[in-house]
Amino acid sequence: MKESRASCPKYSVLQEIEYNKLNPLRILPTSMTRVEEDGVHGNDGVIGDIIHPIERGIIKDWDAMEDLWRYTFYTGLGWEPGNEGQLLVAEPLLTPKVSRERMVQTMFETFNVGGLYAVEQAVLSLYAVGRITGVVIDAGHGKIDIAPVWEGAIQHNAVKRFEISGQDLTDFLAKELARSQPDVKLDLATVEMLKEKYAAVAEDSSAYVATAEACPKIQHTLPDGQVISVGRERYDVGEALLRPSIFGIEEDGLAEQLLRSVSTCSPSENQRQLIENIVLCGGTSMIRGLDSRFQKEAVLVANPSVRPSLIKPPEYMPDNTLINSAWMGGAILAKVVFPQNQHITKAEYDEAGPPIVHRKCF
Amino acid sequence: MSWQSYIDDHLMYEISPGHSLAAAAIIGHNGSVWAQSENFPQLSPEEVDKLLNGFEENSPLAQNGLFLGGSKYMVLQGDPGIVIRGKKGPGGCTIRKTNSAFVIGIYDEPCTPGECNIAVEKLGEYLFEQGL
Repeated sequence: MKESRASCPKYSVLQEIEYNKLNPLRILPTSMTRVEEDGVHGNDGVIGDIIHPIERGIIKDWDAMEDLWRYTFYTGLGWEPGNEGQLLVAEPLLTPKVSRERMVQTMFETFNVGGLYAVEQAVLSLYAVGRITGVVIDAGHGKIDIAPVWEGAIQHNAVKRFEISGQDLTDFLAKELARSQPDVKLDLATVEMLKEKYAAVAEDSSAYVATAEACPKIQHTLPDGQVISVGRERYDVGEALLRPSIFGIEEDGLAEQLLRSVSTCSPSENQRQLIENIVLCGGTSMIRGLDSRFQKEAVLVANPSVRPSLIKPPEYMPDNTLINSAWMGGAILAKVVFPQNQHITKAEYDEAGPPIVHRKCF
Repeated sequence: MSWQSYIDDHLMYEISPGHSLAAAAIIGHNGSVWAQSENFPQLSPEEVDKLLNGFEENSPLAQNGLFLGGSKYMVLQGDPGIVIRGKKGPGGCTIRKTNSAFVIGIYDEPCTPGECNIAVEKLGEYLFEQGL
């Protein structure tokens, strides 16, 4: 019996996981550089800049993506050509049909996988916390998506994409730091690290306003010796999610968007259950203080008869469940789908072609 | 090929061990039943009417629910203009539109949505290519 792997192409990170372990075997950043054919070790053969084949959740550079997958399967996971395993792919929301079909085609024709199953990340994030109904806010690097899911089915007409995502927050922080300390030279990777270390969300909007007056500055020494001080900028970054208008983006904040998304779900009796079961997951959701502040804002905006609440992962799940919720769910689902032969087999693919993915993967 | 044999051999067959559709039918756009399995529910004229326009995105079926013989299905992601997929608890339905008919399959546990989709859509595609 071939082992299955869950693969989760995300905005900044590609994750592979072993069938029966519940932690990622390998987390690979989806950034690559082109090397000359002969350049194997070191930077000698590097040409050009860093490439990110995935933009905002959609694969843009298919050749690069293929190379990344090749590396992941054969080098990372240790598959042997001719003895490839089975794959469960966690797809981002709003993936175009063509993109989906192309992915399936690549997997079966280029990589000869033994079996394939594709599921949207939002549904998997819910499985990771043991549910099939709820609203998933997947806050990632390339995009933040709000998706209500009812009994395992995404309500596509209610799905909302939020304007700001992790990479926008990084850009934002870089601009703010450049403004307050123009002498310090920063590259985006460093800013990203600073964001992950220091970004926070104020307890409520008045606390945020107070940071304008007085905010302790933290001195951070960068690897190249420069010292940068991070003050109010750390709270600006967090606040951007709840009130994008601060940064000139004319959009409602995360809490309002969530409620708007749920209100387009029908029947309306379902809406209460959705609001009372929110999953806030993904890398960007780890910003300190976001969960409690989000819940406060949601309560303010929601109908008084409803109590918005965030779902906590069950105790038996590992600590990093919410960051990696989509493929945690994928790992759980893979154990059910593949043994029951609900996946797409090579034979079915050969018979029906790439469109089989729309029929079988549900 | 009689219409009934389409139902018996191409819709109500055993898709995988122990899995087959609960009911199936081929119904003309005007509501006439070309063939159906024994326990297929009777569709009302209004239900058939709603199907005619129900294949587009954000159709009234998605808002209010899809009704087949009085049973309510929640509309899921389909293929605009071609396929409607519905869900009702652990079961559901798939409807494939052809030039003059609807191929409808209704499934329940243990049959999976994917299996129902395959059976219905394969037959639907075939009929469509035959000009029906």
